[in-house]
Amino acid sequence: MRPILLQGHDRALTQVRYNTDGDLLMTVGKDKVANLWYAHNGERIGTYEGHLGAVWTIDCNKPTTLVVTGSADNTARLWHAETGRQLHMWEFPTAVKRVEFSRDDRHVLMVTEERMGHKSGIYVFAIDSSSPVQSSEPVAVIRPSPSKATVAAWSYLDKYIVAGHEDGSLALYDWKYEELVQRADAHERPVTDLQMWKDGSYFITSSRDKTARLFETSTLNPLKMYKADTELNSAAMTPTQDLVVLGGGQAASEVTTTSTRQGRFESRFYHKIFEDEVGRVKGHFGPINTLAVQPDGKGYASGGEDGYVRVHHFDPDYFKFKYDY
Amino acid sequence: MNKTSWADEVDEPQAVPERQVIANADGTKTVIEHRLNDDGKLVKQTRRMRDKVVQEHVNRAVASRKKWAKFGAEAGSPAGPQLSTTTVGEVVWLKLSQYAAQQKQAEQEAAEQEKTIKLKNTRILCRICRQDHFTAKCPYKDTLVPLEEITGAAGAGAAPAADDASAAPAAEAKSSYVPPHLRAGGRGASSSLDALGERRDDLPKIRITNLSEYTQEEDIKQLCRPFGPVSRAFLATDRETRLCKGYAFVTFYDYDAAERAIAKLHGYGFDHLILNVEWAGPRQ
Repeated sequence: MRPILLQGHDRALTQVRYNTDGDLLMTVGKDKVANLWYAHNGERIGTYEGHLGAVWTIDCNKPTTLVVTGSADNTARLWHAETGRQLHMWEFPTAVKRVEFSRDDRHVLMVTEERMGHKSGIYVFAIDSSSPVQSSEPVAVIRPSPSKATVAAWSYLDKYIVAGHEDGSLALYDWKYEELVQRADAHERPVTDLQMWKDGSYFITSSRDKTARLFETSTLNPLKMYKADTELNSAAMTPTQDLVVLGGGQAASEVTTTSTRQGRFESRFYHKIFEDEVGRVKGHFGPINTLAVQPDGKGYASGGEDGYVRVHHFDPDYFKFKYDY
Repeated sequence: MNKTSWADEVDEPQAVPERQVIANADGTKTVIEHRLNDDGKLVKQTRRMRDKVVQEHVNRAVASRKKWAKFGAEAGSPAGPQLSTTTVGEVVWLKLSQYAAQQKQAEQEAAEQEKTIKLKNTRILCRICRQDHFTAKCPYKDTLVPLEEITGAAGAGAAPAADDASAAPAAEAKSSYVPPHLRAGGRGASSSLDALGERRDDLPKIRITNLSEYTQEEDIKQLCRPFGPVSRAFLATDRETRLCKGYAFVTFYDYDAAERAIAKLHGYGFDHLILNVEWAGPRQ
């Protein structure tokens, strides 16, 4: 396959995400801009400009009318997807590390960083897509403890919020009552990514402890574990084939001491059920920071520390692959 | 206007005939186009084609998003991917295989085999049976004694039989030249050196890198002497400039001394640079 290289960022990528229909790709990086692209040909539609710091995260609602971004300038912003106009701004005491629209698009969760005496928090805001005015008052605030939350996602039916923490643990929060339902030790080191299966019944986490794991949402029971030989920054699941994609590489601060061959900057494909590695894709010359699989399973995108987004469309061979057992 | 010269005729811009579309009876159409090529000559192109309507169903929302006007940094850009932001990368392969891990191992083995084949070209001789394989892989390894030992023993046994030790080889090599190290007399002289050379490899050796270019061999000796007696200190210098190339090898007599030197000197600041000290492994 021939990847499409997107050079919309001057600095490291922080997140890439497809919209629900899979025709658009949103990318954010540490260079203060959010980019919107057509997924099929890599044409840039526009940029969402206004943030004053690194943008950590991005998401859009199901009909792709609203886009929300979270940034290190201690704000989260709501944008009109089609025109790039800023609609609303939420202010926080610290940086926003993860945002996600709920499944019904009526809420958005925001995970904030723990810094300068301010505790980390998971904020839930109501979104009214019919009105131009949004509320700045959170519907719910969860304070993860003892360790700060690094990632979070909505569960099935928006019943819970699942969060991954810096100490490697996972927690299930009943966000309406702001209380902890369950906690589970999952990883030995910080959880770096958490991506839900499309129905929210299970999810995959990646961690710096060089593993990615699959968990059942309702019980936080571990289902599968994928062992890699490097620290992982992101993990995603492919919908048509029973595969998972993992990405990572040596920590950014140590990259200059090794060559690309040693850095292990490939995306790795593992079989979701048998936990075996089945393939690799080379390309980045820095660690992979973020991965996203197209919702129809026909391709995937990876964003690296090298500032490139690589959009891959799978070859026909990929769809013919069958695991013998 | 009357043309006065043939040269004017050439300069006259040629009129390009209009595009012609002729509908044929069998449902196809013939398109005749004229254009000027790079040499300024008129080219006529006739194509016969058939229109085929292919219906494709697209998500309504996706179709409407394809018409979005560009905004932000892309405002006003023409439709289609821009070269400044979007390029097509080199082909990469995703070969999904259940045995990916095993395959990798097989690849490594293949590389190793290639290496042995390369070595084979340099002629391998078993010390035991004189066949072309490594001594370690000899099938008679456990049952036979190396040939050299036998011949060596035979030589030793034969020596007393001869008048004196040097006479026997000298008699053999009367007609041809024998290099000094093979001569019986020379052997004694060079053997001590050989032994030393062998021993030198066994001595603990460390490699010091990230040296500044003004380092002298004496500096290296001074640096290493406190840790124990130094057998040899070698500083790599540029042949022309005589400046240090940035690395040095130091051989100690004592293993502990070398270990101490690595522990103390690794990360030690010397001449504005931080030294990198490690065991001098075999060359890759």
